[in-house]
Amino acid sequence: MPKCTINGKEVEVKEGQTIMEAFYKTEEPIAHYCYHPGLSVAGVCRLCICDIEGNPRPQIACNTVVTEGMKVTNKSEKIKDGVKWVLDFHLINHPLDCPICDQAGECGLQEQYMEFGKYDPEMAEHKVKKHKVVDLGPTVVLDSERCVLCSRCVRFTDEVSKTSELGIFNRGDRSEIGTVEGKKLDNKYSLNTVDICPVGALTSKDFRFRQRVWYLKDSETVCNGCSTGCNVKVYFNKEGFFRVKPVYNEKVNGHWMCDEGRDIYKFLNKDNRFTTGIVRQNGVQTEMAPGALAKELHKEIKAKKDQVAVVLTGQYTVEEYEAMVSSMVKEFGISKIYHWVNNKESFDSFDGLLLRGDKNPNTKGLLQVLEKHQIKGVWGDLEAGLKNKSIKTLIVAGPENRGVFDNLETHVKLFAQAEHLVWLGAAKVEALLNLNSKVSIVPLKTFVEKEGTFVNAMGMEQKFKRATTVIHEALTLTETAILMSGKNLTVPMAQIEKPAFLENKRRQDQVMLENRKKNEFVFKRGSL
Amino acid sequence: MLETAKATFQLSTEGLAEVKKELARYETKESAIIPSLYVAQKENKGFITTAVIHHLGQVMDIPVSKINEVFKFYTMFNQVPVGKHHVQVCTNISCALEGGRELTNHICHELGVKLGEVTADGRFSVSRVECLGSCGTAPMMQVNDKYYESLTPESAMNILRGMK
Amino acid sequence: METKLLTEFYHLDEFRFLDGYKKHGGYVNLAKALKMQPQAIIDEVKNSGLRGRGGAGFSTGMKWSFLPKNNEPRYLVCNADEGEPGTFKDRLMMERAPHQLIEGMIISAFAVGSKKSYIYVRGEYYYPVEVLEQAVQEAYKAGLLGKNILGSGFDHDMDVYRGAGAYICGEETGLISSLEGQKGQPKLKPPFPAVKGYLQKPTIVNNVETLAAVKYIIRDGAAAYKKFGTEKSPGTKLFSLSGNVRKPGNYEVNLGYSLNDLINNEGGGMKPGRKLKAVIPGGSSAPVLTAEEAMKATLDYECLAQMGTMLGSGAVIVIDDSQCMVDMLGVLMHFYHHESCGQCTPCREGTGWLNKIVHSILEGKGRLQDIDLLVKVADNMKGRTICALSDAAALPVLSFVTKFRDEFEFYVREGRSKVRGSFYAQMHH
Repeated sequence: MPKCTINGKEVEVKEGQTIMEAFYKTEEPIAHYCYHPGLSVAGVCRLCICDIEGNPRPQIACNTVVTEGMKVTNKSEKIKDGVKWVLDFHLINHPLDCPICDQAGECGLQEQYMEFGKYDPEMAEHKVKKHKVVDLGPTVVLDSERCVLCSRCVRFTDEVSKTSELGIFNRGDRSEIGTVEGKKLDNKYSLNTVDICPVGALTSKDFRFRQRVWYLKDSETVCNGCSTGCNVKVYFNKEGFFRVKPVYNEKVNGHWMCDEGRDIYKFLNKDNRFTTGIVRQNGVQTEMAPGALAKELHKEIKAKKDQVAVVLTGQYTVEEYEAMVSSMVKEFGISKIYHWVNNKESFDSFDGLLLRGDKNPNTKGLLQVLEKHQIKGVWGDLEAGLKNKSIKTLIVAGPENRGVFDNLETHVKLFAQAEHLVWLGAAKVEALLNLNSKVSIVPLKTFVEKEGTFVNAMGMEQKFKRATTVIHEALTLTETAILMSGKNLTVPMAQIEKPAFLENKRRQDQVMLENRKKNEFVFKRGSL
Repeated sequence: MLETAKATFQLSTEGLAEVKKELARYETKESAIIPSLYVAQKENKGFITTAVIHHLGQVMDIPVSKINEVFKFYTMFNQVPVGKHHVQVCTNISCALEGGRELTNHICHELGVKLGEVTADGRFSVSRVECLGSCGTAPMMQVNDKYYESLTPESAMNILRGMK
Repeated sequence: METKLLTEFYHLDEFRFLDGYKKHGGYVNLAKALKMQPQAIIDEVKNSGLRGRGGAGFSTGMKWSFLPKNNEPRYLVCNADEGEPGTFKDRLMMERAPHQLIEGMIISAFAVGSKKSYIYVRGEYYYPVEVLEQAVQEAYKAGLLGKNILGSGFDHDMDVYRGAGAYICGEETGLISSLEGQKGQPKLKPPFPAVKGYLQKPTIVNNVETLAAVKYIIRDGAAAYKKFGTEKSPGTKLFSLSGNVRKPGNYEVNLGYSLNDLINNEGGGMKPGRKLKAVIPGGSSAPVLTAEEAMKATLDYECLAQMGTMLGSGAVIVIDDSQCMVDMLGVLMHFYHHESCGQCTPCREGTGWLNKIVHSILEGKGRLQDIDLLVKVADNMKGRTICALSDAAALPVLSFVTKFRDEFEFYVREGRSKVRGSFYAQMHH
């Protein structure tokens, strides 16, 4: 365990760790573009130069292993001047188009320029022209002129996704990132390249031109896209949610997340949600306050408790399951509680990196709660019960992340065999609004609007906090359970009058999920 | 997709055998990329297209991006069509001192092409290249795989005119 | 006067073939070496003071001794990617004496314990590759390569690999990348090739001339070899003389030979009516010497280093008074811009920038501050990158601008060359 001194701070690092890692550990600032802790060392941006006592030449921190007693600084005038010039080399051919660049506000070049800018440009020659608006694939657009050729994205596709679609072609200042025509950047992790791009070269088709990043707030949470439970940050403002990015967690997702998970935000926004309680009967639809609707259901459940069954998806928190199951069991003695498994065939699959076939964040949590209450519902019994009409009222806590329940409509049809289908859920499910049988819909809150616990596929409990509220009237499953059991909420729901969120304005050029999946949104490709 | 990608390319039986031989020759199959690009270039009228890259990627089972990186890095792989006789004139320092650039201009002028262009009859293309290790016999040119050294503008043109 | 040690039989055509080569003492020293202890060969090479003939001038014996002392498989690679502008000695050696190189390589491979070697030849050298491949075949047939060489129990395989046109592959780690089938981009050091080289295995990369010289060290012993050359720069060296001299060509002389003599005796002096203006003594990357400096220089590592330049690959480029130094710097900057691999930012962007500044001066659009800007840019490219190409581009700039500043200033002020019309305007890119 060698000790070294970084800008005067003593720090101990593991054998074989680099000066860069020592900088990270001391939290001393060090400029770098090509180094990324999740990728191999490239050593090409040359920004992380630092002085090592006794070494006449500056060394790069990312490729120099710490030895005992090493004294390192990047605060000397020599180094500062060096970094200034290296940064200038990065900028001489950069288009400086920050006003129209999506990365502005979170750009490595901007950040470093504040500290190391030359502020006196000496480049008087024409800049190198490169390809712009290059369509790399269904998710990513490239602007070669903005690219600093740090090679992070290339290393990502080589080392992490192992798909190797990207390369750096040509040499010298003609070098450009690119794909070979006919083989697009198209893998399940492609958007990580956008995250790790330190500049505005790679932008997400989904996010580009939609929001200035300084108008976004962010909040850490756990992705509900599958049972891996990647740690993520959701970005939002009053207009809604705009993107999801991974947050480092060594034990769960490392530095990465999948592209599918990045779509979860779309189901959080108002236009994809049930916003009010709905009762449909004989083709007549009435709206109701969600709390009032839940409370009214109490009478029916109590009266028909032997004919009531409950279906739960693995999309809710442990706390909610506990509230729901215990209230059903204890208040009403209902034990017909069933676990709705979506995509049965691929449920147990795992791609070896992050993606799991179980597209629910909390299947493990649900099973634990069911086991605790000794519930052993068999799906066949439910189907039989619906068929022979022994189940008259069916309460379904449906999927919040509608996108991962492919066979949703078939199931809605199945459930609709009950006399009264009580649907608890956040996501707008059109099929419910076309039913002839009676259906009551209680809009629920999504995972970002509540706190709770998910247990991921590895059995890890992950607690998360509330990020914001999109639909104030919506209930959590816990609140619904309380109201359905005839009790009152301690905090009345109608407390807040004004909705915090505006209607989500869908723009013409915005890439919607459906289009993206079909790859219909195609950019005009620059020829490479 | 551009035309180049749609255009197909297939190695000849002999070419394929050569590529297979190169694949087995070295410790890693990647080492066979350069030799295979040579084989393919020869069979594709002297230059490489996207179709060639895809075909090699398939035959060699190597990601096309890696083959393309190699192709675009080395100057001996032509990215555009070349003439039957590809005239490469050195213009680096030793040749420049002895008139290599004047020679390039003369050849271009005589053949009626600019650098990088192919003559209308497809016989010649001219490009300037960096030092070819013929500095003691400057100026010089390489036509396809052959060196011609200690040239004068006249002797160079005589050589070229003599080519079929 | 030439001292023909390596090139003694180069005038004989038969020396190119195994039989002819054997007639003149070929492979006798391989037999001798195979009876020695490998460590004894390394010691002999170390004691001979042989330094790398490719450009860096690093002690060969020292390089070999960096190899790990274990049984890990290791490679020997001959760097025949001769690309340093002005250099054409390796081509001569491969064309005239392929077996001399092969013998030197087998001896070296035996010394370092390598069972496999590659000769990486630049792609444009079609003919040398042909000659080498033939010679390797001859050697295999004669039992000089393959299993149990000359009954010694030592196995060694050799292969010739053709590059495809990239100056940077002359840099040893760039060469290794290329040999591995990648772009010829230099690798980060550490680890050094001797520890992790070709395919992450210990690898020794030596120049053609270096490996060929090993044979003579074995033949005569380190002490005898050291009698050639100077105390600190022992041995002979091939110098590639080119540019504005009457008799350009390769000349083998003792290290420490006078540059003046090389130009005026071997080179036959300047062309009629011309005066010497400048000499680049070690290939295009070496800082330029003025005529005055050149006349005092001797061709050894120390003297040239003392004069702020280097022996490099031994390419002596002679520039006479009819040449414009701004124009020549333009040629060099075009070259480095063309050849930068594009990996490290200062080199990728810097070589392009330098090229643009020089050419804007050549087009008559230069500003006076451009001359200092050239110096500033070059200064900040030095020692900032993975390999030395950035330095190689920066050093000529610094020396040209410092030593011939008047020509640069004249060009900027008048918009034309002090010496002759710029060629730039006529060139088509």
